[in-house]
Amino acid sequence: MAGRTASGSGRGPDERAKEARRVRLNVTLYRLMAYVTGVVLIVLCVLAIMQAFVNDEAAVSVVGQIHGGLYIVYLLVAFSLCRRLRLPPWPTVAVLLAGTIPVMTFVVERWVSHRYIEPTLAAGTTAANPPVPERRS
Amino acid sequence: MTCGPALRGPIRLGPMSGSPEASRWRFLITPRWLAWHALVILSVAGMLVLGDWQLRRAQAGNALSWAYTFEWPLFAIFAVFFWVKTIRDEVHPPAEAGSADDVGLPPGAPVPASGGPRQPGDAGEPGDDDEELAAYNAYLARLTREVKGHGRSHGLG
Repeated sequence: MAGRTASGSGRGPDERAKEARRVRLNVTLYRLMAYVTGVVLIVLCVLAIMQAFVNDEAAVSVVGQIHGGLYIVYLLVAFSLCRRLRLPPWPTVAVLLAGTIPVMTFVVERWVSHRYIEPTLAAGTTAANPPVPERRS
Repeated sequence: MTCGPALRGPIRLGPMSGSPEASRWRFLITPRWLAWHALVILSVAGMLVLGDWQLRRAQAGNALSWAYTFEWPLFAIFAVFFWVKTIRDEVHPPAEAGSADDVGLPPGAPVPASGGPRQPGDAGEPGDDDEELAAYNAYLARLTREVKGHGRSHGLG
């Protein structure tokens, strides 16, 4: 994550192809984390509701900690992606907070894919950079 | 937050006064950004309060709260970290770092035709105009997409 924007001169087409690969990797990681975090959050909600009927605090505690840990990873991956895609501030905040609201990760993942990821990947690399001609070589 | 005054001092008096470098930081004291600073400070304060609350719950015997006791301060650190990164991106846009690449591109380098609204003529022209035009076209493309979407883009940036 760090140092990506600081790199200045001397980047050739090779470097840009690498950047495009990094975007794709970041997208994959983001999708993985969005789905895993979302599923665990739903499990947590179901357990929390069940707790009203069956007093089993241990399960909620364990799943709660799993979600907490996953959300930390989700935050890092999602923020990295938001920077790469140059998302405006509000969409970035929406993406980051989605990991705490049940079902929202799925909704936001689809929305981000449709509006930002797909156009960026279609252009070859990040929005403000020229398209990478890697598919032709 | 002492951001505004602290920034103004060195910029006005320092050797960089009047340079493009100095004016790059001016955006931080616009109302829009001041609102963002306030939001970040409020949310960080809120996270620290929540962490303190979880600590007291944990000490009262709630086992799960121990995890959140450490997690809330961590989120507060993340918020500051993300905020600093966002400001740095704004001051030194990644697009500018890439301008040297364009000059280095061989003329007539192949560019996919599906690369958005770039005009066919500017594909092989090196130079700053090319970079600016490409960035502007990308910006226009994004605006178009946002308008075509459900019209709910509230991007402040």
